[in-house]
Amino acid sequence: MTAPTETPVEAGRLSTRQLSWQRRRQALARGWAEFRRHRSGMVGLGIMVAFVLVALCAPLLASADGLSVTKATGGVLESPSGKFWLGTDESGRSVLTLLIWGSRISLLVGLLATVISMVIGTLIGLLSGYFTGWAGSILYRFTEWFLVIPFLPLAIILATVLGRSLFNIALVIGITTWPSTALLIRSQTLSIKERPYLERARVLGAGRAHQIGRHILPNVMPMVFANTTLTVAAAILSETTLSFLGLGDPTRVSWGTMLDSAYSVGAMTTGSWWFFLPPGLCVVAVVLAFTLIGRALEEVLDPRLRGR
Amino acid sequence: MLLASLAPALSLGTPTSPAAAADKVTFTVAMTNEVDSFNPFLGIEAESFEMWALMYDYMITYSMDDMSPEPGLATSWDTSEDGLTWTFHIRDGINWSDGEPLTAKDIAYTYNRILDGGPESATWGSYLKGVTSVTAPDDTTVVLKTAKPNAVLPLLPIPIVPEHIWKDVSEKDVKTYGNEPEGGQPVVGSGPFRLVEGKAGGDTYRFEANPDYWQGTPHIDEVVYRVYKSEDPAIAALKKGEVDFAEGISPIQVDALQGQPGITAINGNSPGFDEIAFNTGSVDVKTGKPIGDPNPAMLDPKFRYALGFALDRDKLIETVYQGAGEPGSTIIPPAYSHWRWEPPEDVAFSFDLDRAGELLDEAGYKLGSDGLRTQPDGSPLGTLRLAARSDSDMDASLNTMNYFKEWLAELGIQARVDTYESSKLTDVILEGTFDMFQWGWYVEPDPQSMLSYMTCDQRGNWSDSWYCNKEYDKLFDKQSITVDRDKRAEIVKKMQEMLYVDAPYLVTAYNTIGEAVRSDRFACLRPQPDPGGIWLFQYGAYNYINMRPASEASECAGDKSASQATEAGESGGVSTGVLVGGGIVLLALLGAGGVVMMRRRSTTDDRE
Amino acid sequence: MSMVVAGEAPATEVTPRSGGRGKSYPRYVGGKVLGSLGSLAFMLVVNFFLFRVLPGDPARTLGRGRFTTPEQLAEFNRTHGLDQPLVEQFFTFLRNTFTGDLGVSIKYNVPVSELMLDRMWPTLLLVGTSTILSTVIGIWMGIHQAWKRDSFLDRSTTGTALTLYSMPEWWLGLVLIAVFSVGIGPIPGIFPTGGLDSGAVGQSAIEHGLDVAWHLVLPVFTLTLAYLAEYSLIMRASVLDELGEDYLTTARAKGLRDIQVRNNHAVRNAMLPATTVIALNLGFVVSGAITIETVFSIPGLGLLSTEALQTPDYWVLQGTFLFASGAVIFANLAANLLYGLLDPRVRS
Repeated sequence: MTAPTETPVEAGRLSTRQLSWQRRRQALARGWAEFRRHRSGMVGLGIMVAFVLVALCAPLLASADGLSVTKATGGVLESPSGKFWLGTDESGRSVLTLLIWGSRISLLVGLLATVISMVIGTLIGLLSGYFTGWAGSILYRFTEWFLVIPFLPLAIILATVLGRSLFNIALVIGITTWPSTALLIRSQTLSIKERPYLERARVLGAGRAHQIGRHILPNVMPMVFANTTLTVAAAILSETTLSFLGLGDPTRVSWGTMLDSAYSVGAMTTGSWWFFLPPGLCVVAVVLAFTLIGRALEEVLDPRLRGR
Repeated sequence: MLLASLAPALSLGTPTSPAAAADKVTFTVAMTNEVDSFNPFLGIEAESFEMWALMYDYMITYSMDDMSPEPGLATSWDTSEDGLTWTFHIRDGINWSDGEPLTAKDIAYTYNRILDGGPESATWGSYLKGVTSVTAPDDTTVVLKTAKPNAVLPLLPIPIVPEHIWKDVSEKDVKTYGNEPEGGQPVVGSGPFRLVEGKAGGDTYRFEANPDYWQGTPHIDEVVYRVYKSEDPAIAALKKGEVDFAEGISPIQVDALQGQPGITAINGNSPGFDEIAFNTGSVDVKTGKPIGDPNPAMLDPKFRYALGFALDRDKLIETVYQGAGEPGSTIIPPAYSHWRWEPPEDVAFSFDLDRAGELLDEAGYKLGSDGLRTQPDGSPLGTLRLAARSDSDMDASLNTMNYFKEWLAELGIQARVDTYESSKLTDVILEGTFDMFQWGWYVEPDPQSMLSYMTCDQRGNWSDSWYCNKEYDKLFDKQSITVDRDKRAEIVKKMQEMLYVDAPYLVTAYNTIGEAVRSDRFACLRPQPDPGGIWLFQYGAYNYINMRPASEASECAGDKSASQATEAGESGGVSTGVLVGGGIVLLALLGAGGVVMMRRRSTTDDRE
Repeated sequence: MSMVVAGEAPATEVTPRSGGRGKSYPRYVGGKVLGSLGSLAFMLVVNFFLFRVLPGDPARTLGRGRFTTPEQLAEFNRTHGLDQPLVEQFFTFLRNTFTGDLGVSIKYNVPVSELMLDRMWPTLLLVGTSTILSTVIGIWMGIHQAWKRDSFLDRSTTGTALTLYSMPEWWLGLVLIAVFSVGIGPIPGIFPTGGLDSGAVGQSAIEHGLDVAWHLVLPVFTLTLAYLAEYSLIMRASVLDELGEDYLTTARAKGLRDIQVRNNHAVRNAMLPATTVIALNLGFVVSGAITIETVFSIPGLGLLSTEALQTPDYWVLQGTFLFASGAVIFANLAANLLYGLLDPRVRS
């Protein structure tokens, strides 16, 4: 853990808040300085920012009409040309347009799934680490049970049960990835709980909610943050895989659904490389970016990992 | 390293290509679905029907031209005056593959097993509906008695199984009886081929020619089916010559394959159609009370008919079906010319939004001040729910509805597209919580089944439009006892006209099935229906018996509809040098990934 | 696809190094076995109820397009026990599962256990070969990367591993098919596009074996690359961890040569967490092969389960899911026991 946050609370309430705010800002600045020294992390950040910009500016880069099959202007699986830089799909839509708009859905699902996974994982991790009695051990068992469920079979079944929508896909990924977060948060909580300042807070009569909310949560947050970026990477990969297996939202274009269409119309055998290479490369780039950021963050936060 | 270790497999792994097996002619077919059972009383997948056609014979088969009934094991048949007794005269001198004679007794035995009910009746029971008894007074005569005249007869596409084998399979055991080869012994049958290797759900099925087949020994020695999980690897295998035939391929692939040397690809007409169906009034079948929530306009035939002019069927064929298929009209596809009704000019739908608008105005669905149409009582029409199927190979469903939504918008009708898995949509249809949906039917050579789906009795069962019209039902009952084919066709046409105008279905397209054959290896395949039909997965085993290796193509040169041999195309040749080159390229590709990891500054704390 | 993120600790409870000797091993084993039984019971319950809420009436989905009467539908439901109340179906399910009766496939009319046995060996062959290859190569790579940390070799191979790790393994499979089975430009497609064998006649056992091996080259290669990335990253991280430990500094100070330090100390200790992760991953291999089996048309268990979803074939889904989760629980237990045996510090 980073050193500054470990200093015991000394002064009065108001100044504590100011003090800790200041400390956190300093810690953040130090962290950023540390992060900037990780070249691979910075490369990842650069790639991620580029994709996020593309996703946000999608309406400026390509008209949304390009997504409509009924308004398609190109021929079936046309190869790249001056008009269609990355060729067309089986309905005559520009692959580049699909790619740009697809980035929105892929990133959105990735983020949404991560939020779900993080909320559940952090909550259960915190509680199971904080409460040592039966409640804690039940939560721990619960986490363990979910951890052994084979991810893909469960995701496929849940996607079928819940139906095929954007949110459901995110939900499925979210509820199948939370246990590893929960375990991580739990072990962090366990070690923070034993620190002297928390004991002092307990002696001073701080309630459980106060202890968890004011002391433990802020301390596990950096780790949650690092874990989040890795979870985004896993979630985007999962979205792609589920969509490829035909479980994605059929009314929206994501990189995964593009690959599904490419596979089902036989882009490989008809030699339509422009249909199945770009979406895959985008997935690799974005997932790699998030992984690099996550690894760099972990190293920043945990000096033990340095040099990995 | 990995590649190198496997290199020895190279030289030995390839003799398996069909070209190397010079002594035997093997015809290899790529399929994308497995056989669900070789037991003809259990399977329901199209692939299984194809297998039975190779293994067994039928008393009556279908013609190649239009799938009308033709002699099979029965050489001829006659009907009694009252139409209640059918007598079939069975060919003599046919043997089962184990040497036992095939007689009328086997036929009677097979039919009686079905008549007894139980699992056997599930698939075949409908063909023997109304049949009270089947007997074999001697080895060459089968007599069928019916309670009332049955118009579907003599159509009996039931595989005949050997009594001396099946009598040991009890009614209870039949549900788990696989009918698969055991101990190297082929399954006992009488058809042109014998199943020597294969299991339900397996990925390879192998058949050997029956040298004593009564229609003549097939010109190929073996038929092998290989299951690929998707179309793409199947096509690649065809291109490389690992298989000789690919079935159920997309129009895009047919297009791409047409330019390939040694391959001939077609979009064959398939007897099926796609439709947009309306919820014409979902009810609880027991009480007759309405259930679900269809928009009231759906219940109005005038509204439905008007929308028939808001469908640009040509555009759908061109874009949604990638150019393969025919614009749809009635529920009997063109292949069944005997039964089909052609809508006359003044009734027939065309893409004419003005006409649609006029018809809607006349019916009371006028444009409101906001540019949207209203119900006849002046209240807003509301948003229509268009249900599309979202299974991954169902893009046509979603795209059809997307187009329809836009055409409806031009008429001043709001709509939205909802997507469901096929299995889920079935539930939605039964609950009646929809306005329209897109689906399709496969139509059998006899119109009986298809026509029955539109009767009142089928609501809550196979009817998906909830259509109910007493007049129609009367005609249905009448045609099912009209044994005279021409008279029956009159009624069947009248029924189609009724459906066309009442419009529970708007038929959008007649499907095609893409097929491709290595025409440098095999020839003499005839389409069914002829012309314009498909080569394999037909009714009957005609092509398996009559097709020939390309070298013997001259034998069928006189037959204009049969496929001809073409110049040789590429085949899967292997060279080790190429393999090594490929490995290097792959490694280079992966190495390029390393570029992502840019030079890192070494971290400060050197912990060593 | 397993979700073990590179560098993350294995799922076993590893307490900080300070902990003293924990419980006795038998007690530790007892606890872990009990825990696994709990997981198993939970899986059974999930397994049952998950599948009973699948949308779609199997009788209808299977029967559409055929002439079927309501009586036949009822008969279908009766033979498959679908007409019983849920609770009753649950107890029947429990009883049958414990007697090894997994029901009869709705689609194929074959006992599910038989179907699964048939489909098991292609999966085991595929996944087993890939696991062995990737473990051996991955560990070897990880050691060398860590030892030559920040060298050009380390940076490029770690970068490649991370790239592979970020790649959907089935997409890699598709690209490999396009390049090596279909052929691009000067590269002709030499490998088979899919399937387990060519279905040729009259092959001897050896010929058939080679035929299967030939068909498995691309899928095994794909899966090996995918696992390799993960294992090498884990091994590299473990060795780096060990290299930071004080005793190694001592060993070096004593003047031991690099190679000895590596072999005698770092590697041996680093193997522990790495093998644990690999053991854990073994449990996921069945489900991990789903996409690869789909892309390469290999008739294994993974493919069986995705196919079963189309019907839906309740009993097959239930069987494969049970098998997949059972494998994970078993691998988890094995990993825990192994770890507890080798490293007493975890028995807390």
